[in-house]
Amino acid sequence: MLKRNTRLRMEYLYRKSLEGKEREYYEKKRKIREALEEGKPIPTELRNEEAALRQEIDLEDEYTAVQKTHIDDEYATASEKDPKILLTTSREPSQRLGQFVKVCFCTLPIVIFHLELKLVFPNAARMNRGSQVISEIIEFCRAHEYTDVIFVHEHRGEPDNLVICHLPFGPTAFFELLNVVTRHDIKDKKAMGTMSEAYPHLILDNFSSKLGQRTANILKHLFPVPKPETKRIITFANKSDYISFRHHVYEKHGGPKSVELKEVGPRFELRLYQIILGTVDQQNEAQKEWVLRPYMNTAKKQNVLGA
Amino acid sequence: MAAAVEMEKEEESPMKKGEEALERLRSADPPLYLTQSSEFARDARAASCFLFSSLVPFCTKLPVDRLLVEGFDAEQIWYQIDLLSRPLLSTVRREFKRLEEEHHSRAGLSTIDADGDGEEMVVEKDEISVDDEGDEEDGDESEEKGSEDEEDGEEDDEDDGEADEEEEEEEEAGEAKGNVVEDKFLKMQDLENYLENAEAKEYGHPLEDFDSDGDEDAELGANARYEDFFGGNKKKQQKKCGTVGKRKRSSTELDAVDHFENTDEDVEKNDSEQKLLSTHEKELQKMRSKIEEMEKANLDPKSWTMQGEVTAAKRPKNSALEVDLDFEHNVRPAPVITEEVTASLEDIIKKRIIEGHFDDVERAPILPSKPPKETKEMDENKSKKGLAEIYEEEYAQKTGLAPALLSASDKLKTEATMLFKKISLKLDALSHFHFAPKPVIEDMSIQVNVPALAMEEVAPLAVSDAAMLAPEEIFHGKGNIKEEAELTKEERKRRRANQKRRFRRLKAETFKRAVQKTGQSAVPGATNGN
Repeated sequence: MLKRNTRLRMEYLYRKSLEGKEREYYEKKRKIREALEEGKPIPTELRNEEAALRQEIDLEDEYTAVQKTHIDDEYATASEKDPKILLTTSREPSQRLGQFVKVCFCTLPIVIFHLELKLVFPNAARMNRGSQVISEIIEFCRAHEYTDVIFVHEHRGEPDNLVICHLPFGPTAFFELLNVVTRHDIKDKKAMGTMSEAYPHLILDNFSSKLGQRTANILKHLFPVPKPETKRIITFANKSDYISFRHHVYEKHGGPKSVELKEVGPRFELRLYQIILGTVDQQNEAQKEWVLRPYMNTAKKQNVLGA
Repeated sequence: MAAAVEMEKEEESPMKKGEEALERLRSADPPLYLTQSSEFARDARAASCFLFSSLVPFCTKLPVDRLLVEGFDAEQIWYQIDLLSRPLLSTVRREFKRLEEEHHSRAGLSTIDADGDGEEMVVEKDEISVDDEGDEEDGDESEEKGSEDEEDGEEDDEDDGEADEEEEEEEEAGEAKGNVVEDKFLKMQDLENYLENAEAKEYGHPLEDFDSDGDEDAELGANARYEDFFGGNKKKQQKKCGTVGKRKRSSTELDAVDHFENTDEDVEKNDSEQKLLSTHEKELQKMRSKIEEMEKANLDPKSWTMQGEVTAAKRPKNSALEVDLDFEHNVRPAPVITEEVTASLEDIIKKRIIEGHFDDVERAPILPSKPPKETKEMDENKSKKGLAEIYEEEYAQKTGLAPALLSASDKLKTEATMLFKKISLKLDALSHFHFAPKPVIEDMSIQVNVPALAMEEVAPLAVSDAAMLAPEEIFHGKGNIKEEAELTKEERKRRRANQKRRFRRLKAETFKRAVQKTGQSAVPGATNGN
């Protein structure tokens, strides 16, 4: 098992290293293809390699024509398999707050939030953290073929941090949680009723930059492929780098154009501050894809995720 | 005598000439000074000579007793005049002061102003004369230079000493200023006296005036008492002299103030202290202590606010709360979720729902790994073959008597398998180190009795006999073939013997068969066995 994992990781890294070269080929083929389609003469720098590349172009089909990056590799099996999520918290939150809190532990917002999140993500399993080490958790998940692990960290009982780790070797995204409002707070339980657990539709709004696309990808692959007619909608809306999470259930009463939304589920703002190309236990060694720089003079003007 | 008389006459005539020249200069129009006329220049030189010589007897310590103008340029002439006029000026001024004092001591304070005026005027005149001299020399030069020289003259005066400058300033400014500065404590005369004394020391002039001044000073000093200032307790007279002796106006004022302090302190300290410090010393002490403090502070390590980057470990606990820290927050604050924000979000969601445009994960189409199954359709027509015939055919196929009919799919299959075998052969050859032989492909096909080797013939196909069988392929015999001519006698005999034997055997067989068939012997006379 260890060997197999090591081998897979090596292969992944090797393929990642080839990307540069492959990109060149891809570009050249693309140019030739364009030239052929338009009927223009092939650019002079490609004349020597033209014959070989043309042969390859002929043999290509729709899968091989598109260039595969290591990012696609991470989510290669995602479209075939349904995601399986493990949800857990940081270590022993009650320690910091003293014994008094142990009694009222269940009412801590973090715990409530944790419980609610389990309902939000279909196919999610919740686990109490206890004193487990992160590397142990990751090994366990690999053994049981989980695709994602989500950690919810807290500060003085309030949830403040979300870490989404994609499993085979996948990227880890670190978010800051703000303005958390749990279902518990919004309304009475009786009025709410139980939350629908069908596979939801997703709306990802305003993730226009490259980094935004990447984040959208990460968030998207937490959810399985839904049925086209589900009434449950989960929204991630980005506005000036703050991602709003909303969970609605809709009904179309009057006709096709009238839609009634009913808010269900917790509501919070996410703020991305780091993406690393590795799992959570490789936090120190893995390459950082992107890190937030809040102390730069132009930090206020930047919109990293889009628009 | 005659020579002396002549000399006198000679002296007189240049004197007269000089006078006349001066007159002419005086009467000339100012614009005339600007023009370059050699006549004017000559007049100017003559006049300067005259003035110089007239002033010579009042001067001591002169290197030249007569102004040398021939062949000298303006600078040099001016320098000579300067040499003469400087000490002369100071002496003249002193004289005036003395006169004024005498007048003052008789008249009283009120007349000082008048004298001051008088002095002013005199001094101004002095200056004017000096200027004139300057002008005369430079008659042939531009006016600017002249003005410069005027200024130089003044600067030179300043160079004598700050005191002079101040005197001038004080005098030129006017009476009012003198009034403002002067009061019960500060007396201009005293100041000026002291300054004159200083000058006298510098220029080594006779000290008669000095002595008199000194006496005057002493007199004044003796007269001035605390009662004059404060009307009461006794005071130190020496202090006053000392303070007056100070050059700067401001400091004199300060000293006047200090006088207050001094006298008070003297009163207080009279009984207690062993050492009484002068104000100057006190000031020095204060400054010294301040300097010590500051030096000590510099040597000590700086407070944490003055150090560069400070982590929490390096500063005292909670100290950051006390200090007013100032830094820019370069982060956009978290959005406050208002009704509007929620409403806008919901609008977006509704729009998307109506459009049906969601960003779900889409399943990728699976690549076909299995071939599509052949669905056998059931033929509903009545079978034309009988059941027995179907069984017969099956049996025949099984035993191999009748070859199996190849269906279309089978054909494709065989073709596909052939192709695949070829490819896999090539791949194996690439990937394995060991040789793998070419697989035997059993191919059932009719071989026509065609020659093994088809050589290319020159003759056209229709004519050529290349397609015909070769003799070896026709011949069925075996062994060494010999013709009759080649045979030896024994061999001939052997052949004949073989032939005979064969013939007899054949005959015997045919007879036997014929007998068997009929059941009777065909030979006459032979009985069957009845």
